[in-house]
Amino acid sequence: MARLSIEHLRKTYGDLTVVDDVTIDIADGEFLVLLGPSGCGKTTTLRMVAGFIAPSAGAITIGERSVTALPPWKRNCGLVFQSYALFPHMTVAENVAFGLEMRKVSPADRIPRVAEALRLVQLAGFDERYPRQLSGGQQQRVALARALAMEPDVLLLDEPLSNLDAKLRQEVRVEIRDLQRKLGLTTIMVTHDQEEALTMADRLVVMEKGKVRQIGSQRELYEKPADRFVAGFIGRSAFLDGEITAPGRFRTRGGVEIGCAAATGTGAATLALRPERIAVGGEAQGLHNHFQARVEHASYLGAILDIDVSLSGHDRMLLQIPNKAGVAEPKPGETITIGWAEDAGLVYPREA
Amino acid sequence: MSTTAPEPVAGARTGLAGLLVVPATLFVAIGLLGPIAILFRYSLNQFIPGQFMVDGLTIENYVKFFTDGYYLNVLARTVRVAVVCTVACLIMGFPLAYVLARTQSRFKNLLIIAVVLPLFVGNAVRAAGWMTAFGSRGALNASLMGMGLIDQPLEIMFTENAVLIGIIAVNLPFMVLTLQSVIEGIPRNVEEAAFSLGAGPAAMFRRVLWPLALPGILAGTILTFILAMNAYATPVLLGGPRFQMMGPLVYGQFAQQNNWPFGGAISFILMTATIILTVAAHLIVQRRYR
Repeated sequence: MARLSIEHLRKTYGDLTVVDDVTIDIADGEFLVLLGPSGCGKTTTLRMVAGFIAPSAGAITIGERSVTALPPWKRNCGLVFQSYALFPHMTVAENVAFGLEMRKVSPADRIPRVAEALRLVQLAGFDERYPRQLSGGQQQRVALARALAMEPDVLLLDEPLSNLDAKLRQEVRVEIRDLQRKLGLTTIMVTHDQEEALTMADRLVVMEKGKVRQIGSQRELYEKPADRFVAGFIGRSAFLDGEITAPGRFRTRGGVEIGCAAATGTGAATLALRPERIAVGGEAQGLHNHFQARVEHASYLGAILDIDVSLSGHDRMLLQIPNKAGVAEPKPGETITIGWAEDAGLVYPREA
Repeated sequence: MSTTAPEPVAGARTGLAGLLVVPATLFVAIGLLGPIAILFRYSLNQFIPGQFMVDGLTIENYVKFFTDGYYLNVLARTVRVAVVCTVACLIMGFPLAYVLARTQSRFKNLLIIAVVLPLFVGNAVRAAGWMTAFGSRGALNASLMGMGLIDQPLEIMFTENAVLIGIIAVNLPFMVLTLQSVIEGIPRNVEEAAFSLGAGPAAMFRRVLWPLALPGILAGTILTFILAMNAYATPVLLGGPRFQMMGPLVYGQFAQQNNWPFGGAISFILMTATIILTVAAHLIVQRRYR
């Protein structure tokens, strides 16, 4: 295992920039997740690390080795695909042994290493089966064993769980995470699934339109999102557009004055609030900011209620209240009191 | 009652499926198997010059073929030409089929049409074209001599090489299209997985692409081999009168010598040789790679 560094990586197709100046350092044994909506460049970044796409600019270093110009077969990156990509004409054991065979490991020496890899993914005894005789989850475990058997410097996971059904996804997720920790594998995973990313990662990279928007831990991304995109992408946020009128003062488009510690500078801005920081009813009265809001729409989601309210004609926002016993579900048209502390919101310059 | 209700529907559909197979089956039976059976019967008849065909039950036509060096030579030449053409088609066709299967170009359909385009020209027309190109005063020799590269015209026409070139040109599209459809069914990810596991292009080809493309390779080689074994127009027009292959030999016995029994026997030998070689190749390949 080794550390991996990606420096100023860029990929352009003609005028189209798919990956734009991406720089990421991944520590030895770290589990890094690239997260973003489809088309954000996360898969292209991973494929450049694997060597399937030549970068237009930038450098990739694994350990002390610059691999930027190396073909995929000389990079020693273990790769797991969304579609498993097992060799259908080979048995499970042959699949797992393939990387060793390519490294000229003698057939006798391959046997214990294949057995060990299969044991790690809990598929001991499946050696002679063919991929088509296995379930999706088992196939993905074989793919993982195949990547692990060759003792890669870096493990690359390309949406490895997307083809599995929900229950299996939970299981395999935990298995991959445990294995990664146990073996100290430097890992990059690409996913668009936020929950998956949050539960598995040591650190996350949020990408959008080819750019890195923020790199950080789960807590950093949720509590200190670097921009409006991250605030909306990681967890949910209520957004209010308006402007900063004075330090600590924010006025919405509809003219609602809000006290907000994070408001500095001047000009058009967006206030982002985490729904759970917004109090409703009696609790709201004592807070610095409290307003009468009209319920526009309420959705019952079991443990929580999603409520869409308007502060004035122009300002709509989302809140979530826990579904506690004795709390009546607000009806559209009702007026409720909502409020939040002065330090609850984050303010971002308005994006064009 | 309710459980048996769907039965008639399912039964009716099975009956319909059976019915749908009938026209093709009848056509094959009447159009192919019938004549072959008659031909086989003729091949056991006797040929007496002047009397055309005498009913009999003799293997003398087959004995004649296998005891005459001339005919054995024709068979050997036919097999040789067919094998060379098939191997050449495979070697040239695979890379082309791979590119066609993997291209992301929006002109892909045009490329495929370009591969099929040569088939729009019939064998005879194409062979006539080769004749004007490769003749001793043809375009190729005239150009080379005009440029002073050669003194004597190259002898291409009426040689085995001319026939090989001609048959390869006809068969290549069949090979390419067969391989292309099979390679398209092999996920690109599988190749990438092999690369990531340390396989270079050659190892990836040998251990992954070739075995997975094997059904297409078998289908393509069988198709081109059968076409080459039975080639008629190309050997006649490009090989000339002294270059005999099995196809023209059969025709000669029927149309020129009027020797139907011997013609029938040669037909059967050709058919049997084709089937045996095809099946043998199939078995060898399957044993080696499965």
